[in-house]
Parts: sequence; structure tokens; C-alpha cells
Amino acid sequence: MSSAHVAAHAVHDPNTGTTGLDNRKMGMWAFLGSECMFFGTLIGTYLSYKGKSISGPTPHEILNIPLTSVSAFVLLMSSLLMVLALAAVQRNDMTWGKIWLFLTALLGAGFVGFQIYEFTHFVHLGLTLQTNLFGTTFFVLTGFHGAHVTGGVIWLLSLWVLALRGKLGPQDSLKVEICGLYWHFVDIVWIAIFTLVYLIP
Amino acid sequence: MADAHAHAASHAEGGHASVATYLRVAVVLAIITAIEITALYVPGLPNAVLVTVLIVFSVFKFGLVVAFFMHLRYDSKVLAALFVGPLMIACAIILALMALFSAFLLLPRA
Repeated sequence: MSSAHVAAHAVHDPNTGTTGLDNRKMGMWAFLGSECMFFGTLIGTYLSYKGKSISGPTPHEILNIPLTSVSAFVLLMSSLLMVLALAAVQRNDMTWGKIWLFLTALLGAGFVGFQIYEFTHFVHLGLTLQTNLFGTTFFVLTGFHGAHVTGGVIWLLSLWVLALRGKLGPQDSLKVEICGLYWHFVDIVWIAIFTLVYLIP
Repeated sequence: MADAHAHAASHAEGGHASVATYLRVAVVLAIITAIEITALYVPGLPNAVLVTVLIVFSVFKFGLVVAFFMHLRYDSKVLAALFVGPLMIACAIILALMALFSAFLLLPRA
């Protein structure tokens, strides 16, 4: 893109800044950068206190790896559905756009359901936020992630409702793309959490 | 009008991968996840090897999602810098915290 073209965009489009990039997209990437540091701190705290609880239950005794593997796979595949939704909206195929958006939200809700079951089960086994260092760091880390997924599900459903009411079309594909950036981010955070918290012995 | 311009601008910044590419990436992600979980149940695998394999695979999965699903491979380097810069700081925070607390994944604890 030439500098003259960029300048023309900056004059005519209030959403385009001097870099020639869309401000909304740039804002989302800056937000995701700050989220990296947020989750980095929580992950660092979890790893720093790993194995330092003076009483049980310990991760080895309580974590259900087969169940969490299924929920991790569900979230991973929801990322695929998200890009399929974006591709459908961009080519003005709103029928599939609506289907993929709804299914992405559904898989996200499924992930949250797995997490609610896991948290409830752990509390029944005696692990709470106050039980030990593992309980505190585990619930804070995975709970904040779950809250992010819940926010993403609400965002996806609001886009789906807009699409159902005919208020979302290819001209709004950037809205879907920005929501997708957020959704993929919660997926990559779970890739890190799943490996560092669940898989590494 | 503004949205139409923004739409055109977003395409000018860089294209997106094809649906076929998205599907290929998803298959690779699924296969890597299956390998990671299988690796847990390999008898006699040294802990250091297991931890290294798991971290390398998860970094690869992270990179695939960012590059293809989040389109960073096709987008402006400014956006990449906005994300990768803080990501590096986050990694440094994790390593610094672990060093401060003598918590190492591969080495015995102090």
C-alpha cells in the first residue's frame, strides 16, 4: 500500500490510522498483547508454586487428563469453526456463516460445561481455592481462562443474533475477524495451560 | 461506507488462508494433540524427554494457530510486533518467577 493510498484512507476512513491499519484490529492485537502478560503472570505463579503445597490433594491425585484432553480438543476444534465462520461471512455465505458461528459458541459452551463439572468435582474431592497452593493457583489460572471463554461465547452469540436479524454481512467481516482473534487467543492460552498444568508431570 | 473502506483496508493489509489450508492446519493440530496425550502413556520415557517433547509440540501448536487462524502470517508486521513483544515479556516473566522460586521443569528442585 503506497503512502498516498494510506494517507487517503486516513482522511476518508475514521477507523484507519496513520499506519494504514484498522484501529479496531490494532486495538484488539494490543489488548491480546496485554492479555499475554496477564496470563503469563498467572502461569508463572502456578509453575513457581508447583509441588510446594504442604497438604493434598495434589495435581497427580486429582487431575483427570482423559476428560481434560476431550475439552482441550473441543476448544481446539472450535478455532477451526471460527475461521470457517469468518470465511463464510467474507464470501457472503450467511447461511453457513450463521451455522459456524453458532457451532463455535456451542463448542465454547461445551468447554465451559467441562470446566464447571471439573471444578465441582474437585470441590467434592476437597480441593478449594483455600485448600493449598495448588488449589489457589489452579483455580485462579483456569478460572480466569474459563471467564474469558464465557465472554467469548457471549460475543459469538451476539454476532450470531445479529446475523439472524440480517444485520451482519460481508461488509461486517472485520467484526467477525476481531471476535475470531479473541477466540483464537483463548484457544492458544489453553494450549499453554493444558501442557503446563495438565500434561507435564 | 466506513465499514466498506475498513473491509478493503483489511484485505489490503494481507490476505487470509484458504479453507483448505484451515482444514489442513486443524488436522495437524489434532494429530499433534493426539501424540502429546499418547506420549504420557509411553512406559519408561525419561521425564526430561517427555517435558521437552510436550513443550516443543505446544509451542508449534501455538504458532500454527497464531500464524494461520489469526492470520498473522499474512498480516502487517506492526500487528505481529504488538503481539510478539508482550508475548516475549510474558515468557520472561514466567522464567523469572520460576528462577526466583527455584521451580524448574526439567531440573531437580533446589
